[in-house]
Amino acid sequence: MAQTLDIGRRIELVSMDRHFHDISLGLYCLDGADGAEFLVHSYSRLAGVPERVAFVVEAMKTMGGLVAAEEGRLRFPCGSEHNRGVRRVFLDICKLGPDEAPAARELNVFDQKADATVTVTSVAGGRYTFAADKDSDKATMRTGAIANGIVKLAETILDDDTAVSFECGHCHDILVAQLLPRAINVRAAVREQEAAANRGVLAAPSQQE
Amino acid sequence: MAEAIKSMTSRQRVMAALNREPVDRTPVCNPTSVATVELMDLVDAPFPQANREPELMARLAATGYTELGFDTIMPVFSIIQESSAMGCKIQWEQKDNWPTVKMREPIWETADDIKIPADLCTHPDTKCVTEAIKILRKEYGDEVAIIGKTMGPWSMGYHCFGVEPFLLLSLDDPGKTKLCLDRMKEATIDFGIAQAEAGADAITLPDHATGDLVSGEYYERYLRDLHIEFAERIPIPIILHICGRTVDRMDYIAQTGMHAFHYDSKNKPAESMAIVGDRISLVGNINNPETLFSKGPEEVSAEVIENLDAGVQLVGPECAIPLQTAVENLKAIPQTVRDWHKNVA
Repeated sequence: MAQTLDIGRRIELVSMDRHFHDISLGLYCLDGADGAEFLVHSYSRLAGVPERVAFVVEAMKTMGGLVAAEEGRLRFPCGSEHNRGVRRVFLDICKLGPDEAPAARELNVFDQKADATVTVTSVAGGRYTFAADKDSDKATMRTGAIANGIVKLAETILDDDTAVSFECGHCHDILVAQLLPRAINVRAAVREQEAAANRGVLAAPSQQE
Repeated sequence: MAEAIKSMTSRQRVMAALNREPVDRTPVCNPTSVATVELMDLVDAPFPQANREPELMARLAATGYTELGFDTIMPVFSIIQESSAMGCKIQWEQKDNWPTVKMREPIWETADDIKIPADLCTHPDTKCVTEAIKILRKEYGDEVAIIGKTMGPWSMGYHCFGVEPFLLLSLDDPGKTKLCLDRMKEATIDFGIAQAEAGADAITLPDHATGDLVSGEYYERYLRDLHIEFAERIPIPIILHICGRTVDRMDYIAQTGMHAFHYDSKNKPAESMAIVGDRISLVGNINNPETLFSKGPEEVSAEVIENLDAGVQLVGPECAIPLQTAVENLKAIPQTVRDWHKNVA
């Protein structure tokens, strides 16, 4: 009798959870009655796995702005998938140890290159504006770069140099705040994600060292 | 016609397809690994231990049959077991990565250095394979085909001499290259026979004369006759595995007497079938990095159907799958095969 489950489309995988016996943790996406739903699942049957999964699920609410759906699943209040954003939040949360309390971030971030704090303001209809607390060319440039980072990480639309919108038309303050530190150096974030995803792809002998 | 054939066990189905005999449906076959990190978790048999402990190796390999619904069990996940036994330095890695030979630290420089150790087949890393095969044979009897793996001498040349030195030798001195291959072939044969005696039904023989490094003419010059010898001396069906674009050597491969060729997605199923005809079975060729790893079940199904439509005898992934491959994509392979046969019927 097979024990693998039909639990939807796996959209992200942490192949080794450094904080819990190197188990794998998957994030699965399913079609729910009110839109996309997410399930955190591990096939490991080690003692303590349900608690580790529950920790990640709760942290997804606290740090990603997801809400509970049926049968332990999660969803965004808007019902959208927000694929890249939810994956990034999941990966960040899996880096937390069990002793670290999940906490939502603020909607601002200090950017060393600009030597300024960039604050994000939520306005109506899922629109966010970005502004630095310094008036310099560097700060202006970096504010635009951070807005662009959010476009890449959260699949938002760039309205202008300092404003982005979610296509769903809903606010996602907690998600944006969580992604903001990554948006400072989005290329590094994407590189890290790609490198992790490509581990375990067998290279031809000619490509090995 | 498929519908006229009495229902077969997985093992019967695979063995018939390897012999190009009628089957009740196309078998789903993995001549190389279908292990994933999630399956490792499911049966608590993670890498690297599952490459070194027979019970774990057998348990993880069995998931290809019990969980994914393939018709084969293939416990030799890596390509380094016998290289370890020969003295190569191995990077065993962690759960989510493949063990590899440290080819920048070769153990041989000339043909005179080649010595096949007396304990080749009793070294812990080769014995692990034969013991795992015995466990699987005992556990699953005749219901499923068990496939072993023995590396060909060209691959061993890369591992033991280093890729670049071995390729340069093949350019500079064909005579010495042939001498090296001839000496290394005994390891291929001995390990193949050991697995046959342990209970393997067929054996994968990877010999990485890959399309990106070696031409079809090279294959004919250096490997065809050796592969004919393997087919004569290893007493179970051989599935030759070579990655990359290989249509330029498929005609030669079809002359070897081997039972099957495990072919890469860089070769179209129809063009490959047209070359080999009914001289050798084909196994493959679902793309790993772009399809199984990065896309979804629909795209996997499309590639399965392309193989079935072309008459490919055994369907499966093109090579060892990435360790993070999603289970739902792998399960789509046997499901598509079953659906296709229902529709054809």
